[in-house]
Amino acid sequence: MSSRMPSTEARPAEDHADHQLEGRLASTGVERLALLGKHAEALMQGYSRDEVPLANLSERALNKLLAARIVWRPDEQGGVKLAPRVRELIAEMLADETRRQVNADVGETLELLRSLVQSYREAQSQGEYWRQEQQLLRLRQALDDLNGRFADAIDSLWQRLNSDFGFVSRLNDKIRENDRAQKQIVRLLDGLQLIDFDELIELVGSDGGLRKLLISQLQRQVSQHYTSLREVQSRLTELMARFRQQQSRSRLVSGMAAFLREHPNFVPGNYARRSEVPDLVNQATALNAAASPALDHQSDTRVITELLHELPRPQQPSRDATSAGPAAVETTGLVAARQQALKDDVERFYLAVIDQSAEAGISALDYLHQSDMTWGEEIWLFQVIAEYQSLPRSEQAAFRLQQSESRASQFNDLRLIHDVTLRLARSA
Amino acid sequence: MIEHGPLLERLLAGEFVCAVSDDHAFRRLQDEDTREQIDTYLRPLNRRLATNAEGSVYFLAWRQLNDEARDQLSRQLGEVLHSLMPMLEWLQLMQEALGHDALVAPGDVLKPAELSARCEDNQSLREQLERLAGDSFFGSQSDQLDAQMKQVFKRLREHGYVLQPHADRQVYLVTGKVDYLVDLVRLIRDEENLPIEDEMPQAQENLL
Repeated sequence: MSSRMPSTEARPAEDHADHQLEGRLASTGVERLALLGKHAEALMQGYSRDEVPLANLSERALNKLLAARIVWRPDEQGGVKLAPRVRELIAEMLADETRRQVNADVGETLELLRSLVQSYREAQSQGEYWRQEQQLLRLRQALDDLNGRFADAIDSLWQRLNSDFGFVSRLNDKIRENDRAQKQIVRLLDGLQLIDFDELIELVGSDGGLRKLLISQLQRQVSQHYTSLREVQSRLTELMARFRQQQSRSRLVSGMAAFLREHPNFVPGNYARRSEVPDLVNQATALNAAASPALDHQSDTRVITELLHELPRPQQPSRDATSAGPAAVETTGLVAARQQALKDDVERFYLAVIDQSAEAGISALDYLHQSDMTWGEEIWLFQVIAEYQSLPRSEQAAFRLQQSESRASQFNDLRLIHDVTLRLARSA
Repeated sequence: MIEHGPLLERLLAGEFVCAVSDDHAFRRLQDEDTREQIDTYLRPLNRRLATNAEGSVYFLAWRQLNDEARDQLSRQLGEVLHSLMPMLEWLQLMQEALGHDALVAPGDVLKPAELSARCEDNQSLREQLERLAGDSFFGSQSDQLDAQMKQVFKRLREHGYVLQPHADRQVYLVTGKVDYLVDLVRLIRDEENLPIEDEMPQAQENLL
């Protein structure tokens, strides 16, 4: 700056040149920004892969991208890659936590602020209003950048925190990512520490505008970032403890399972017999808080009577259960064996019917008498009928069971079965 | 005391109360005054309120340990140990079937149908399920995968490790009793000095 300290009469020409430069920058910027949109697909492929595919790019287009420093070529033989700043830009736009970067470099920004303030004050002392405006603009931008960088970093940290580091699936990765995030916070906090307000107060002197920008506004922002970072930090520590606990539980369970598999006869001590029983093992038996209707409170009687009336009436008179009881109980040992033998014999009878397939069928009693079986007639008939009824419907259809029956007496319509004849259904 | 009636009844019936099984009651139990009130009430019944290390489940313990109580505790401990291996295998199966590297935790939602589908596609999971379902603790007689899974969840529900919010829907929630089980495993490890590490060795972590 000082080398081309302008004389008063040269000022308009220089202002004009500055304006021209500004205009050229703007048009080139628009042109180059448009390149991002024009080649968005190729650039996104370069973002997710190793290299930017050149198949659909003309030589001219590639040269423009290289000139705009959107892509670069690390070495002559190698492929073309996305420039780091562009990768960062895309990661930021997508809030892509796997690639988003935290920039905690405050030192350089402070350096920039110092030189901008000095050149602003020079312009001021020389009455160069346009240059003064320009320096103030750049100063505001530098401060906004600094502020934005912290806001972005904090936003990225919260995103990661709130998703439980959902962008990585394994617990070990989550622990590492958490660790990395905590280190970033430390760097960010260190960066904030570099901002020395005593120095800034001295730097801005008595200029009200600068003071507002560099002291009150910056101070407010810094203290906000400080609070946010501390909050994220404590939440990250909490989450880390949870991750570690999960990891420890999982390792404990798999360790114990492996141990028990190796030592199938392992029996731990009886902790219940110790003088000091561990709390965890001391679990009291269940106690049922039972209650029955009681009529000793006059006021309750009415309620209970009402409840009684509301009870649905039993559909059928209940049977005396005790009379049916013993038969089931005695079905043990010998009795069961006899029953099974009877069932087997009846099955053989059914097989005989199938074998002979006589059109007239076979009388159950005839079959019993011809064999050397010793079953009583009644029990035999009963089982033959029972067997028929217990057949699945499809098999039942294969047989016809005919009962020869008569009335018990002229005045009693009870049917007595004298015999049953079994034949195959298809011969009917 | 009257407002604690239903809660007391559940505790007395031997239930484990956690944030999943009864959020409202659990929050009340976190209040020290309430706990004291309940303890006073339980005194004549020789019971007191107990909890696990991280305070995520509440249950009732004996206040005075007489011979009878010790007999009962020994029997109960025996039962828990009998269920230990199948329960550990279940925890591992869930972890693998869900593709997680952490155990199921209270509040996790488990759908037997989904889990069955995952086991069906994976021979190793299939075998694990078969083995644990056939264990006498789960007691499945079936060789059908769906039936095995169903039986496993039925038993887990009976033992309070999961609960089924809607009787007609096969969706289960893991309860705090899982925490209790893990704590018990840690207790056995510590008491018996078993060579089981649960912390990641520092050196190995640094390598990662």
